[in-house]
Amino acid sequence: MRKQLIVDSTKCTGCGLCQMACAIKKKRQCEPSLARIRIWRDETRGMFIPMVCQQCENPPCAAVCLMNIITKDPVNGLTIRNLDACIACRACQVACPFEASHYDYLQEAVVNCDHCQGSPECVQYCPTGALQYAPLNAVLDNGRHNEALRRICT
Amino acid sequence: MSQSRGYAGQILEVDLNNNAFHRNELTQDFCKDYLGGIGFNAKIIYDRAPTGIDALSPENVLVFGVGTMVGSTFPTSSRTEVSAKSPMTGLFGTSNSGMFFGTQLKNAGFDALVIQGRTDKPVYLLIENGEISFHDAGRLWGKDSWETLDILRKQYPGCEAALIGPAGENLVRFACIENGYYDAWARTGLGAVMGSKNLKAVVVRGSLGITPDNVEKLIEVSWKARQLIESSPFFGPFKSYGSMNAAMPYGNFKALNALNFTEGCLPDWKEKFARPKVEELTYGHVACQSCIIACAHWVEIKEGKYKGLRMKDMEVTPTTSFGSGCGMSLEASVKAAEMSQRYGMDMVSAGGVIGMAIELFNRGIITADDVGYELAFGDDDAILHLMEDIAHRRGLGQVLAEGALRASQQYEDGEASAMHVKGLEIPMIDPRGRTSTWSFGILTNIRGGDHLRCRNPIENLRYNENKHEFQKERFGFDQKMYDALDMPDTIKSQAIDLENDTTDIAIMSRWAEDLINLFNSLGVCIRPPVEHRLGPTLLAEAYTAFTGIKITSDELMQSSERCWNLIKLFNLREGEKPEDSKFPRRFYEQEVGGKKLNEAQLQEVLRQYYVARGWEPMTGQPSEDKLRELRLSSVE
Repeated sequence: MRKQLIVDSTKCTGCGLCQMACAIKKKRQCEPSLARIRIWRDETRGMFIPMVCQQCENPPCAAVCLMNIITKDPVNGLTIRNLDACIACRACQVACPFEASHYDYLQEAVVNCDHCQGSPECVQYCPTGALQYAPLNAVLDNGRHNEALRRICT
Repeated sequence: MSQSRGYAGQILEVDLNNNAFHRNELTQDFCKDYLGGIGFNAKIIYDRAPTGIDALSPENVLVFGVGTMVGSTFPTSSRTEVSAKSPMTGLFGTSNSGMFFGTQLKNAGFDALVIQGRTDKPVYLLIENGEISFHDAGRLWGKDSWETLDILRKQYPGCEAALIGPAGENLVRFACIENGYYDAWARTGLGAVMGSKNLKAVVVRGSLGITPDNVEKLIEVSWKARQLIESSPFFGPFKSYGSMNAAMPYGNFKALNALNFTEGCLPDWKEKFARPKVEELTYGHVACQSCIIACAHWVEIKEGKYKGLRMKDMEVTPTTSFGSGCGMSLEASVKAAEMSQRYGMDMVSAGGVIGMAIELFNRGIITADDVGYELAFGDDDAILHLMEDIAHRRGLGQVLAEGALRASQQYEDGEASAMHVKGLEIPMIDPRGRTSTWSFGILTNIRGGDHLRCRNPIENLRYNENKHEFQKERFGFDQKMYDALDMPDTIKSQAIDLENDTTDIAIMSRWAEDLINLFNSLGVCIRPPVEHRLGPTLLAEAYTAFTGIKITSDELMQSSERCWNLIKLFNLREGEKPEDSKFPRRFYEQEVGGKKLNEAQLQEVLRQYYVARGWEPMTGQPSEDKLRELRLSSVE
């Protein structure tokens, strides 16, 4: 079964190791904004939500891409990009509901998470299990999502 | 170092007298000798601050030194040290905080920020990817730190900020510099220094990136460090309860600060503050940059007067300071923590000075006429009211805003109620309740009455026995723990006597101070699981992997020792006397848990500590040999 990067925001402590791990793996730089994952921080309401590409079935980023370079990999279901042809117009960034398309200023292209060829670095670093790499239906738990919603909405 | 590795490579120097700045390149020698963080701060302040200045004058030098490992994958590498001459002690003032400020400052291009001078009108400083600008802070002045940060975050999304609240603006001597919403460089009154410069905030935002010298090696060392930390017996408890772990043992030892150090513990301490209460009030954990422990908690008060209050809290500091020190309820102590954050006041000193005021009230030295209302231990409303008065310097607050020592001198025999060492209020770990490296370290701490610069890396909270000689504490672990300790064998065998199961307090203090100082230089956290497992061998590997500068573990420890000695020289230069290293009289005269301190014995441990440091045994002056060894002779 296809695996997915699954986020449990109730376990996220906001340590940012996922961003650091991603940036150092992909870019050999200690620079969180080069990562393909972000932690959405709301300190006044006390919550952290890791935001990462959900590998949508019908990706909005692909729908708006001017160059038609965003496609679905038929084998692993990942949303992939032909970065050589990216003109960095950033329409995909605007369209993504998860804020998971990121402008890589070193490469001058917009990138998304590629699951590190089946072994996501961020998951290995995550100290709490807030990030998991597992079959999608294995981890879904409505209770946790409802709790997260309650906190956002109150 | 134009092609800097690990370091950002530059120090930013700001002169507020004429809104000018310039950038200084780091040199490799400077990096190796002073490492970063507190090391940079010590050297810069020693060299720049003229002798004998008023801490609140424009001449004072305020330095933000980011730890060397900050912004890397190395676990818990998040810490930034802020230092200046302290308005509380008149000595070296310094404080350490984590979260994300340091990572951003380094990514904005700077390893340290040096601020001198004073502006006529309030300003804030914006540092963004190597660019510096000064902005009018008129509309922010008077706002509390949370409101201020809300405004700044709206204007500069994703920024981090070091800022002051009303207490800093009003030059409350123990005002702190807030680090984001819930953290602070709290001790020794650095917020007042910032306020005296009319500097409301330092806003940083950066994405320049930090290039490790050897990525593979850095990743390898980071994982090694992580596995070591996770294997520490202190890891599990700290992950679950954070610093609140210490609250119950210290209560059992009668070593808390209870009711302004008149007691060692409160009778209902356990019911009010034990683990079930932590669980009741908290709903998640909060980490600093790259931390695998996440010792802090999200707190939500669901019922009662403070219902709806949500913040990061439940640390042992506010809990002891307000909960046991002033006898407040748990919920009110969270409220007090919120007010400390908003107003920007050091919780330890605020709790200390309020505890003293209540005691003076009980002694009849101050009256309801002075305060405007009655004071009593455990009277939550009165205490919170008094905090407000202090932050705004209203009524008695005008006196108390000067800190416990200065305020007590306003009253005849007032000083008997001021629980301080060298002008700084003592947080907890009463040496009467617990004879240990940790409690002894309060005496030798270069920033005065404080417990965070000297903790035995293998502090054993299971035992509190005084069957040993007075200069020893029980070791209490087995050979395996002894072997695993990253410490040179020569020092280890002197410090720990396995056969008799004891640790020598004087020798371990020297080691612990240098070790913690090393952590504060490298920007690594000193939480017990980290301090316990990581030592100079691994840190030297990490330092070299990140910066490319070759250094041995001995050189690393020596650089830390150099920094400690330089701060001691600064303190002596600014007027510290040997007789200042003493606890409040109460500790020698009144018993807590059936014990009081023996002055002669304590003096003997102090003498042994000076010897262990290579200082003059009677005066604590660093000896010429020691200064030569540390290449500090020329600074004299």
